[in-house]
Amino acid sequence: MFKSNISKFIILLTLFLVGALLSLTMGGSQSFNVLDADTNNFIFWQIRFPKTITAILAGSTLSIAGLILQLMFRNPLAGPYVLGISSGASLFVAITFLAGNSFHLFSNYFFGKSMVVISSIFGSLIITFLILALSKKISNNVILLLIGLMLSQICGALQGFLEYFANPNSLKAFVIWGMGSLGGTTNLDVLIYSPIAIIGLVAVLFFIKPLTAFLLGENYATNSGINYSKNRFYLILISSILTGVTTAFCGPIAFVGIAVPILSRIIFKTSNQKTHVISCILIGSCVLLFSDALCHHLSKTAILPINMITTFVGAPLVIYLLFKSKQW
Amino acid sequence: METKTYITISEATLGYKKNKQNVEVLKNINLNFNATDFIGIVGLNGTGKSTLLKTLCGLLAPLNGNIYINNKNYNQLTTLELAKQISVVLTEKISGFNLTCFDAVAMGQLPYTSLFNTLTAQNYTVINNAIELCGLKNHQYKLLNELSDGLFQKTMIAKCVAQQTPIMLLDEPSAFLDYASKHELFLLLQKFTIQQQKCVLVSSHDLDLVLKYCTKLLVVNNNSAELISVVSAPKNSIFIELSGGHFK
Repeated sequence: MFKSNISKFIILLTLFLVGALLSLTMGGSQSFNVLDADTNNFIFWQIRFPKTITAILAGSTLSIAGLILQLMFRNPLAGPYVLGISSGASLFVAITFLAGNSFHLFSNYFFGKSMVVISSIFGSLIITFLILALSKKISNNVILLLIGLMLSQICGALQGFLEYFANPNSLKAFVIWGMGSLGGTTNLDVLIYSPIAIIGLVAVLFFIKPLTAFLLGENYATNSGINYSKNRFYLILISSILTGVTTAFCGPIAFVGIAVPILSRIIFKTSNQKTHVISCILIGSCVLLFSDALCHHLSKTAILPINMITTFVGAPLVIYLLFKSKQW
Repeated sequence: METKTYITISEATLGYKKNKQNVEVLKNINLNFNATDFIGIVGLNGTGKSTLLKTLCGLLAPLNGNIYINNKNYNQLTTLELAKQISVVLTEKISGFNLTCFDAVAMGQLPYTSLFNTLTAQNYTVINNAIELCGLKNHQYKLLNELSDGLFQKTMIAKCVAQQTPIMLLDEPSAFLDYASKHELFLLLQKFTIQQQKCVLVSSHDLDLVLKYCTKLLVVNNNSAELISVVSAPKNSIFIELSGGHFK
């Protein structure tokens, strides 16, 4: 069983490298070779390189956030997007972004970006705690999903209200961000994005034991010597940081967080959470790298929004699981 | 050989908090449970059987009074220290997330594993022994939702065995089980108290089973709990009431 797991990891790693290479050869310009060396260099290092890194970071962070949420709620249908956490992050980014632009707060790049990242993480935290408080009153997995949908709608409506009063210039940038995109990040962005994302991902490794205990629920976890509320608080913090930072840089990206942990459980057929943490990072990266490549490939003239592809993969998977009603 | 006292409850009031108000379920109770005790907890629903068990395993805090586990003050024990003293089987059903019978039993070793929860050879020995002892050898790779109610109950008991605690608590383990499984379950628990000197507390509505296998009965009624011998049970007024007078 161990050997076959290793071969699965090797296949995933190969797919990851292929995806990364594919992503590095796309974007910026379709006719790479005919341009002069300086332009080629610029396209590669300033457009494709940050885009590929962003795809890897976004895929890993959202998948791990989804894994944490699924184990915490003991609900295979949980995820940052379906529970409205991404929307909460978006709403707070909208407030900061639009307020910042109106009051010219963002003349300093680092200050502006930090404000956006912090408000995004804050938005994720608020929605996660809200969902948690509501989930104590219900035990039905599907109702939790519906509550997430409603919260997401409320955040969307508030955001629409804000956009209505925004000035046209900041609105356009914001709407494009809100559609979700991997190509919007610069190398400078990646410099802020990657340390936060990597710290969040490494932190999860130290919570393998509580995550494993959470599989049996709150009572059994406590009886296994796990301080449930303390560990849950830290895990909510980590998943909010992971969702928030990615939403701040890429906009809300749909269905990766819910679909990847499910795929991981289907592929590895184990309840070992160490395996799942590593495989979620790999599968999540692969999903976004290939989705990105597909976006570039499908349209010659414009880049399609990444959410189109991830929704086409993720939504049918969720519907399939609802019909199957077997818990993954 | 002197029997060791595992649990001492003195002048304790147990219950839970609802809307920030204390709901007292068991008032001023004094109880002692020793090694090799196989205690059957009987009483009507809502009289405090589960409250007692949940308090002992750290899921509810006592409202008042003192509890000593293995001569240590309950309030000063950490969650981890308590997990090494008391293991529990609750009524909740667990499934999904690829959890197999083996995985669930392996959870018993969680208090003893390292930060990254990597199982050592010693952990594997304990887990495999627990699986063998509970007769789950042929079912260990089945998913939890593929197990029958009886096998699932045995899996959770094997988890307790793997937790290597001197005290085991079980909340209505015989509910939903067929006749044969019920007897197997109580025989298994009896074996633990005799062979491993454990102290086992089991709440149940199956009065005949409790009378047949347990060493003492804890009759819970009207905010109080009374420990009586099995022999005197049929003459106990509360027990007669519980059995509806059908026990002669």
